[in-house]
Formats: sequence, structure tokens, C-alpha cells
Amino acid sequence: MSSWHIPDDLRERYLEGTLEPAQAMSVDAHLGRCAGCRAAVPYEKDWLEASWARLEAELITPRLSLPERFLRHGGVPDHLARLLSATPTLSRAWLTAVVAVLAFAVLAAREQAELLPAFLIAAPVLPLAGIALAYGPRVDPAHEWVAATPMSGSRLLLTRATAVLAVSVVLAGLASPLLPAPPGLAAAWLLPALAAAAGCLALSSRLPVPIAALAVGGVWLAIVGTGRLVGDWLAAFGPVPQIGYGVAALLLTYRLYRVSTR
Amino acid sequence: MIQIKQLTKTYATKRALDGLDLTLGTGVTGLLGPNGAGKTTLLRCLATTLAPDRGTVDAFGLNPADRVQRTALRRRLGYLPQNPGSYPHFTAFDLVDYVAILKELTDRGHRHAEVRRVLAEVNLTDQAKTKVRKLSGGMRQRLALAQALLGEPDLLILDEPTVGLDPEQRMMFRALVSRLGQSRTVVLSTHQIEDVAALCERVVVMRDGRALFDGTPGRLAAVADGRVWLSDAPPATTQLFWRTADGRYRTLGTPPPAAEAAAPGVEDGYLMLLGEAA
Repeated sequence: MSSWHIPDDLRERYLEGTLEPAQAMSVDAHLGRCAGCRAAVPYEKDWLEASWARLEAELITPRLSLPERFLRHGGVPDHLARLLSATPTLSRAWLTAVVAVLAFAVLAAREQAELLPAFLIAAPVLPLAGIALAYGPRVDPAHEWVAATPMSGSRLLLTRATAVLAVSVVLAGLASPLLPAPPGLAAAWLLPALAAAAGCLALSSRLPVPIAALAVGGVWLAIVGTGRLVGDWLAAFGPVPQIGYGVAALLLTYRLYRVSTR
Repeated sequence: MIQIKQLTKTYATKRALDGLDLTLGTGVTGLLGPNGAGKTTLLRCLATTLAPDRGTVDAFGLNPADRVQRTALRRRLGYLPQNPGSYPHFTAFDLVDYVAILKELTDRGHRHAEVRRVLAEVNLTDQAKTKVRKLSGGMRQRLALAQALLGEPDLLILDEPTVGLDPEQRMMFRALVSRLGQSRTVVLSTHQIEDVAALCERVVVMRDGRALFDGTPGRLAAVADGRVWLSDAPPATTQLFWRTADGRYRTLGTPPPAAEAAAPGVEDGYLMLLGEAA
């Protein structure tokens, strides 16, 4: 251990910041080893604690995952981005399944124009399935501790369902222009998808989410099947039914809003 | 103060809670009982993740049967479930941060400081950036405990918290829980009787959904007063006995020939109580 200590004049210049870089580094190195000289260097306690806190935060706080960075880049608040990144149905497996179903439906329609309804029927079902698998003890591995928090229940379900719906709609929207159909018909799945998702969420206040999704999915297939009975698969996608889906989506969303703010 | 009145819960044909009455105050209360006694069901009802069929829970004047009051109660409790699941792709920090968000800590700076605090409490600061799937069983258990500590809850519910912890970690856990119990209500269930003896000022023994015993660990040990014996030869009867580390036989109940009386422990009292209730 050295008996040398920083002379007063050198310390003054160090504190003023007028030392040459090499001298300043030498003083830094000595201060790291010598408690006596450190004690002689005045510092602001609050500043030092704040610096340590910042340093600790930098060292401990992990880097954000790719989906979180994407969401935050899109203006989503950081806590919401983290919430959404844990949505079970926004996993890679789910997204792959959605893309596969849409790709298959598009390819089938391009191969054979009569198969166009397959895409229009499937597109509203995908967000329903996603919502069914977004919240609950059977699908969320951490559901038991999630359920004991104030955000659990309809608030968390709504948050996750919105994310699932948005992702499904964007993917289906990207696939729609590839369909061999005029733009209006190619987008005829959108209002049914919104109405089905809102219906599922509205029903979830009375039924478990998967049961609510199954019920709404069944109603959707019944509507489409009725069109087939009158001789046209596309009857369920005509202008009058579209108005019905739009009105249903608005009313159900309003009901959801009332329930969630009650 | 938490008041539980006539709490009843039935799963299919199995009655897990059978008209249970219990009052919990500040301090650490340990729940003991065999598997299926109703401990976890009781804790889940307290944690608001399970609704009872009948009866009431009143926690700090809040009724969990009411949606708004249930949410208010959730703001004041921390819960470590028996089988804490997790998101394996999250890091330890991410996971606790996620639960902190669910507990409505939305300010990032404050939330991250709180996450760092609870990770330090359970000695997981060095593993903050480690993926959950790479943590050992004991570390995952400590991580689950960390999330329960977020926000310094008034009611801490711990279901088998020492499972998977090594002796050193259990000591650390005891120190932490006993400190927390000085100012809040802590209720824990365990099969580790030594944990109850070490840190609970009150113990409730449950069986078939009812409270068989409610008192201090000392009183539970006293149940076996005058009925614990040490002998060099095993007893001839079919009563409960085991061979101890020093080669002698510890018998509960009627003394074997040439036996000498031994001081009862909490485990003796617990076994005696369950034996009498069977």
C-alpha cells in the first residue's frame, strides 16, 4: 500500500476539472484504492445516490424483447407493451398458425375461385380463437398469480383481446389484396370479425371465454350456412348483412364499454 | 383484520372447506394439515382467485364477493400460489416487472425500483437478467416470492413457500417473513412443521375443511404432553413410533417398557392431534 496521498493543490485542480486527462486518470485510480483521499473529496450525497441508482438500473434492467421494442416504437406505453408481450396467443406458434391458415385460404381461392368464401369465413374466426386462448387458467401458465392482481379479469382480457384482434386484422388485411376478388368483397370479413370479437367479449362476462368464443363462432357459421341454404355462400357478405354486422359491432362495443367502466 | 365466516367450498363430491370460521390479524399464521385438508382452497379464497360456495370473507373491511371491493382487496394482497407458473421466455426481471404492471405500478422508474427491491429481498439481483427457464427450482420459488412482495402488501398469502429451497434459503425466507409479519398479516401453508415452529406465532391445523386446532406452536406441542417416549427397544404395539438418529425409538401414545418421557415438539403435537381426530 502506497504512503503517497493526493496533495491539496492537485486535489483542487482535480475538483476544478483542470487536470490533464492522464493526471485525472491517475488521481481516479488512486481514489479507487485510498479511502483517506476519497474522504477528502467532497461530493453531493443525493447526486451520488442518484448516479448509483441510474447505474444499477442500467446494469440490472434487461434489454427489451423484439415485440416490446416494436410496440414501444409504435407509441405504445412501456407498461402496456410489456403486458401485451405476455399474451399467450401472441406467441410465435399462434402467429405462425394464423399466417398458415390465411396463406392456405388465399392459395385455395387463387387456385379455385369458388373457394373464396373459405377465406371470408375463416378470417373472423381467427381472432375469436385468439381471444379464446388469450386469458384463463388453461391457457395462461401464470394465471393463478395473475388472477390475484387488480388488473386481472375483464381489464386484462380486454387488453389482450384488443392486441389479438389488431394482429389478426392486420394479417388478414395484408392477405386480402392477394384474393382474386374486387376490394370490397375481399374485405367483407372485416365487419363480421369486429362483431364476432365484440360479441365474444360481451358474452365473456357471463361465460368462460372459450365457451363464449365457441358460441359466437357457432352463430357465425350458422349465419354463413344460412346463406348457403338460400343458394349462395356469399349471401352472408352482401351489403345488408354488412350493415347488420356493423351495427352489432357498435352496440356490442358500447355494451362492453359500459360494463368495463361500471 | 380478516374475518372468515362459515366458509364452504365443494369440488364435485369433495367438500374442501366445511363451514370454516377464522380470524386473522397482524403476524404470521401457519396452516398445517394433511393433503386435501383445505389449506390451498382457503388460501385461494383469501387471494380472491376462487369464490366460495357459501360463507363470507371480510378483509380490511372489503368483501371479495363484490367486484369493486375485490379489486380494492387485490391492491392490498400479495400471493404466492402453490404451483406458481411463469413465462419461461421472460427474464427474472421481466417477470416481476410484468406482475408489477398487473399491480398497477405504471410509472416506469418507480416500478423498476420496486422490482429491484424485491429481487434484492430474495437475493436474486444477480439473476435479474437470466431467463426464467434457466433458473433452478429454488430460484424460481424465490422469484415467485419476490412478485408476492411487490407493493409491500398488507396481506401476504404464501402457499407452500419453502418448497424447493435449500436450508440456507429457508433461513433467509424465515428471516424475511418474520420481519414482514411484524407489521402485516402473513398466512402461509406448509408441510414443513419446523418452519411453523420457527416463525409462526399462531398455527391452525386443518382437516377435512375444518380447523382442528387454533393456537400457538407451544400449545400445539403441549397436545402431546406426557405422551412422547424414548426407549431402546421398539414398542410392541402398532402405535406410531420411529427410530431416531441416535438409535433410540421415539413413541407417541402409550409408553413402551423401560421408556423415559421426552419433551414434546410441535410435530409430536400435530401427529397426536391428527391421530386423535382420525
